Amino acid sequence: MKSLFQTLKTPLLVALLVITPALAVRAQDSRIQMSSLDHLATKAKQTVAVTLDERLMRMAAKLFPDHGDEKEVKDLLNGIKGIYVKSFEFEADGQYSPADIEGIRSQLRGPGWSQVMSFNSKTEGNVEVYLLFNADKVGGIAVLSADDRELTVVNIVGPVDVEKLSKLEGQFGVPDLGIESKKEKEKKNDK
Amino acid sequence: MNDDYLWDKSGEPDPQIQELEEILAPLRYQPKPLQLPNDVRRKYFRLLAIAATVLIALLAAGVWLKVRKQHTIPPQEAKSVVPSELHKEPEIVKNTDLSSKPIVRKRIRKKTFSQRERQEAREAKEQVLLALRVASEKLKLAQRRTQGPSLNQIKNQHKVG
Repeated sequence: MKSLFQTLKTPLLVALLVITPALAVRAQDSRIQMSSLDHLATKAKQTVAVTLDERLMRMAAKLFPDHGDEKEVKDLLNGIKGIYVKSFEFEADGQYSPADIEGIRSQLRGPGWSQVMSFNSKTEGNVEVYLLFNADKVGGIAVLSADDRELTVVNIVGPVDVEKLSKLEGQFGVPDLGIESKKEKEKKNDK
Repeated sequence: MNDDYLWDKSGEPDPQIQELEEILAPLRYQPKPLQLPNDVRRKYFRLLAIAATVLIALLAAGVWLKVRKQHTIPPQEAKSVVPSELHKEPEIVKNTDLSSKPIVRKRIRKKTFSQRERQEAREAKEQVLLALRVASEKLKLAQRRTQGPSLNQIKNQHKVG
């Protein structure tokens, strides 16, 4: 047994050296693991779970036309590798624990992630927005929203074009985000 | 002097020859099985194990790439296909080089969504819209509550900082 281990030691090291960089590249992915929240589905009045990987994103993108209003959505989806949403609405307070939120938040403290917005209130709940930056480009976005009777986590993996996202406001049932570029604001003011 | 001793060890031995025999005795041929040094065998086995590992890794990568390729649909516009077009016979072109057999050109069909894939894509589209709706709602909520700068401005601040 010992001699077998000694014999396989070198090949195992070689394999480890090959596999480790691949895993490291994967680790830099902006996907958040949300499976720790799955147990809340049994307590929730309403659950929204969206899991769209790269393949489904590509398939969905093909159904958006290259013209008209939906082109904006198609452009936005270009380059996005996945969209993951978990949203739970409860009938009573305190159905989820702080540990549930901490499980998500701890991942967002990882390298590359920056908290760009945070609102914490005992009465109105918490909303936190995180962006993953690869150099100076946005490589992912995560939104964590929690109040007494609701817990929502949104994770978009890939280069999210915030400018394009802001242009989606009010279209296809996507509500107005209130995100406007400076130029557009100036144009409106001129008018 | 009798040379029989030198020939078949019979007869009276010569003391000088006996002395020489004693000196050379340790160098006499002694039959024993051939033994390869352990180090050589182990080294050879190790190289073989490395080669096998690399080969297995390459095979696994090949299989993985093939499976991935099968799952990947080439980027093209989803197009509705009229059923009658699918069942058209291959186009027969008249031969111009005087050979007797006609050239049959197979029409290359564009790969389109199967019914199942189309259904899957429709569901994915609905999910995309739902996800965007939830994402934008939450972003709007965050911005309304913080009343802070827009995400675009934050992004630019990050670039400067």
